[in-house]
Amino acid sequence: MSVSLQRLTRSAVLTALALALSVAEGLAPLTILVPLPGLRLGLANLVTVYALCRLSGREALLILVARCLLGSLLGGNLMALAFSLTGGLLALAVMALLLRLPGLSLFGVSIAGAAAHNTGQILAAIVVLGTPAPMVYLPPLLFCSLVTGAVTGGVSTLLVHRVPFPGKV
Amino acid sequence: MRSPAADRRRPTLWDGVVALVVVALAALLVFLLRPAGGSNLTAVITLDGVQVAQYQLDQLDQPITLTVDEGTYPLTIRAEQGRICIEHSDCPSQDCVRTGWISKPGQQIICLPNRLIISLFGSEPEPFDAVTG
Repeated sequence: MSVSLQRLTRSAVLTALALALSVAEGLAPLTILVPLPGLRLGLANLVTVYALCRLSGREALLILVARCLLGSLLGGNLMALAFSLTGGLLALAVMALLLRLPGLSLFGVSIAGAAAHNTGQILAAIVVLGTPAPMVYLPPLLFCSLVTGAVTGGVSTLLVHRVPFPGKV
Repeated sequence: MRSPAADRRRPTLWDGVVALVVVALAALLVFLLRPAGGSNLTAVITLDGVQVAQYQLDQLDQPITLTVDEGTYPLTIRAEQGRICIEHSDCPSQDCVRTGWISKPGQQIICLPNRLIISLFGSEPEPFDAVTG
């Protein structure tokens, strides 16, 4: 298989996986337990972490954008697209930066990613609503991102070690 | 991309630092956003940036039900003495209904699909020079 075809297939499979994860997550929303708008586990972020660690930043970005666009076609609207894109891009940027630092593990990277995702969502909400009112939700969301980030960090550690080199199969 | 983080299996001390930074930012925001005190509780309801209603919650004698159907999804707001909630909404996410009752200054209910915000403000009671009647 040629290299570019291999990359394309790899990205397509991961995009489908990310999409499936975010739809599955939507079926059992965390907000039933904790009534906090915007709160979610961030399972699709696993794919971003994996792509950043095992593929490249460019592929991670492509997978993220494709996932957000397809996700809004599946069940969301234009507003949902704005939210997932702003949050996702900010999380991707922060995690790509932190992955270059020595001394961190995927736990810290995922926590920072979850916090960045929440911040991006709130920023999008502020722009959509035109008032700084949604800012009130940011502190509780940040506290929750410690838990959700640690969970996805643990899962992504497993994922990155169990599935080390895609494409060399 | 080769990343040292991808090779580690256990959390490091620096992960703790990241978590602490997140907590510190959240605490700072809580401090910056703390509501102004006051015993009067006012609920302001805005739809797409326009104020549609305002209630003095602590002075309500009987419950009020307000139906807002100018937005994308009709919803029903219920106000009682000292508290307010969105009783029913036709919006898909239902986050606003799940938020439940709010009763403290600074709290809010936001229904994003409708761009509707209910905010609670605290204010000092207005000084009356004389009460007649």
